Amino acid sequence: MKKIVVPGELLTAERKRPGEHVFMQNGKLYSDVIGILDDKPGDVSVIALEGRYVPRMDDVIVGVVGSEKATGFMVDLNSFTQSFVSKKDIREQLKPGYIISARVLDVNELKEAELGQIRVFYGGEIISISPVKVPRVIGKNASMLDVLKRGTNSTILVGRNGWIWAKGGNVQLLIKLVEKIEREAHLENLTVKVQDFVANANKSVKPQAFAENPALEERKAVEKLDKELKGMVLNNESDSNGS
Amino acid sequence: MAAKKKEEKTEFVNKQGKRLDGRTTDQVRPIKIQVGVVPRARYSYRMATFSVPDRKNPKPGRRDIEISKVSSEAFERAIFTERFPNTAIDIFVEVLDSNAGTRIAALTCAAVAVADAGIPMRDLISGVAVGKAGGKIIVDMNKFEEDAPDAVDIPMAILPNTEEIVLLQMDGLLSKKEWLEARGKAFEAIKQVYELQKQALLKKYEQPVEAAENGGVVQ
Amino acid sequence: MSSLVSWDFRTDKVLQAIREGKRLDARAFDQYRKINIVKNISENADGSARVKIGETDVIVGVKMITSTPFPDSPDAGTLNVGVELLPIASPTFEAGPPDKESIELARVVDRGIRESKCLDFKEWSIEEGTLCWTAFVDIYALNHDGNLFDAAALASIVSLLETKMPKLEDKKIVKGEYKGKIKLSRKPLLCTFAKIANSVVADPSLPEEKAQSARFSVAVTEDDYLTAFQKGGLGSFTASEIDSAIDIALKNTKEIRKQI
Repeated sequence: MKKIVVPGELLTAERKRPGEHVFMQNGKLYSDVIGILDDKPGDVSVIALEGRYVPRMDDVIVGVVGSEKATGFMVDLNSFTQSFVSKKDIREQLKPGYIISARVLDVNELKEAELGQIRVFYGGEIISISPVKVPRVIGKNASMLDVLKRGTNSTILVGRNGWIWAKGGNVQLLIKLVEKIEREAHLENLTVKVQDFVANANKSVKPQAFAENPALEERKAVEKLDKELKGMVLNNESDSNGS
Repeated sequence: MAAKKKEEKTEFVNKQGKRLDGRTTDQVRPIKIQVGVVPRARYSYRMATFSVPDRKNPKPGRRDIEISKVSSEAFERAIFTERFPNTAIDIFVEVLDSNAGTRIAALTCAAVAVADAGIPMRDLISGVAVGKAGGKIIVDMNKFEEDAPDAVDIPMAILPNTEEIVLLQMDGLLSKKEWLEARGKAFEAIKQVYELQKQALLKKYEQPVEAAENGGVVQ
Repeated sequence: MSSLVSWDFRTDKVLQAIREGKRLDARAFDQYRKINIVKNISENADGSARVKIGETDVIVGVKMITSTPFPDSPDAGTLNVGVELLPIASPTFEAGPPDKESIELARVVDRGIRESKCLDFKEWSIEEGTLCWTAFVDIYALNHDGNLFDAAALASIVSLLETKMPKLEDKKIVKGEYKGKIKLSRKPLLCTFAKIANSVVADPSLPEEKAQSARFSVAVTEDDYLTAFQKGGLGSFTASEIDSAIDIALKNTKEIRKQI
């Protein structure tokens, strides 16, 4: 099993390049977060296990509309700041509390994200996971995401910021599956374990009493965004957390 | 028990080297650290009214404000704040029950919470309250010992890697020789505290029990 | 914490579910979430308890202090209830002095206890006109997942039932020594309801609270007396909605009291 290190833990005294979440002090390398040690021949890095979302250009995120201002809206995206969206840039009517998907168009030096391609999703549920564990929810070639979709029959939109929008099917089961991935993100063979869980759980985890069905446009929009994931090379070393 | 003790001359450390509660001068009290106990999450240090023997006014007093200041200064050294321009990191501490060594317990606990939040730090902050009672230097005093006539209270917190001291205060009369002994004992005791902090953080990531794979919640 | 309806993304869903006669967590309209009670969680308090209703989590500590009686009741002790909505309990709670939400909560809990006459304040007189006991009941919200009112009231009653009377010597409290527990002649419990669309549900969860147009709380005793009412929020209730709520409260509290 991979080694988990804590902030301030000594990683090595060898001469290596400090990677993600590693700093040098007195010639030695230390971790700055709680995470998984990734010790390679040339460099050492730590894959963080906790932390808020740090926006990156081109990320697709799931956000929640916060307060309305004179010329736009504030959007909460599980980051250190909210993003301002101008009324001129949105096609649909927004209201505080609405769930949206958006793309990060740009990130400034204060780590504030400029959002575009805003689309509203109605109802459903937001499931939250640590942003650094999002790659595990998607999986190589979106393999884990496929398991989740087939196992629950839900329409699922995974935001790179750790917020997952889901509607229809057995969202209650999806919540349990995401919780499992969050707990075991650092372990191996996770996709198989999740598949087993689905096989056993389908009888005992009932969908919520109140059924919701995603509209056709919603399903299509999610499918379009999913296609991107198939081809993507997902960095397991996320740079969420200010480095 | 309290009334009786006032009459006898209290022997804070007996001839066998044992304290009133049975500990040796080097032993800290049992420590329990647990992450994730309340779902959600400036260092605001507050004490519940019922956390101390005499009901405390709920408004933060000068003592609370001073503790907040020295504790946030400790965090300024530990957290890589330069990575969060224009951002405030609020750390809220509420003491529910207090029995000496409170500010150190709070700081130690807060350090674990900050690490659990994924905020990059140079190191955890680990500390202990070392002091003197009945002429002997002891670590992690309890309320009784803190009330000894010659009591000295030294809360100390360090960044364990570099052993930099990031919090240090003292109340009482101490010789330089006594200080050196206290400092030595404190550094030793802090090693135990640091281990417990690490364990608390790692507990979340222990291998889960595979047996509960029946769709039920794995605790 | 704002008393204005703060729209939550679940609000539409809650409304829709209610219109179909359902609640998001599949509870019946008159059903409570799981209640968990732990007594005596504080060593320094004279009485204390921690109560969870679902994920809503509240801690209460009671301190018995000697004080001066009020001029209009020189031969009686007093009760003082305070509430702190800690910032860790909800993203909407801020550090600072109690705001109108915490004050309302404190006064409603106080009313339920005081008006039930479960405490005989005259027994708390130490010296007429100059000295009496005051019970300080301090409530701390640790997590807000809906219905802090009932969790606070329940934790307060449980704490009071556990509260030991400090021993007095020469009119001064002897620290660490006690003489019996305080006496409560009744165990009033608070039941809170949310008005959502045209329905009324008991023990609102957080999404339900955000979707509610009004709130109604009633404190009831084991001998079927009503001891406090409080309607909150910008909406309204019909008379028959209030009547049914009272019936449900009387029924539910019989079960809850078994857990005390």
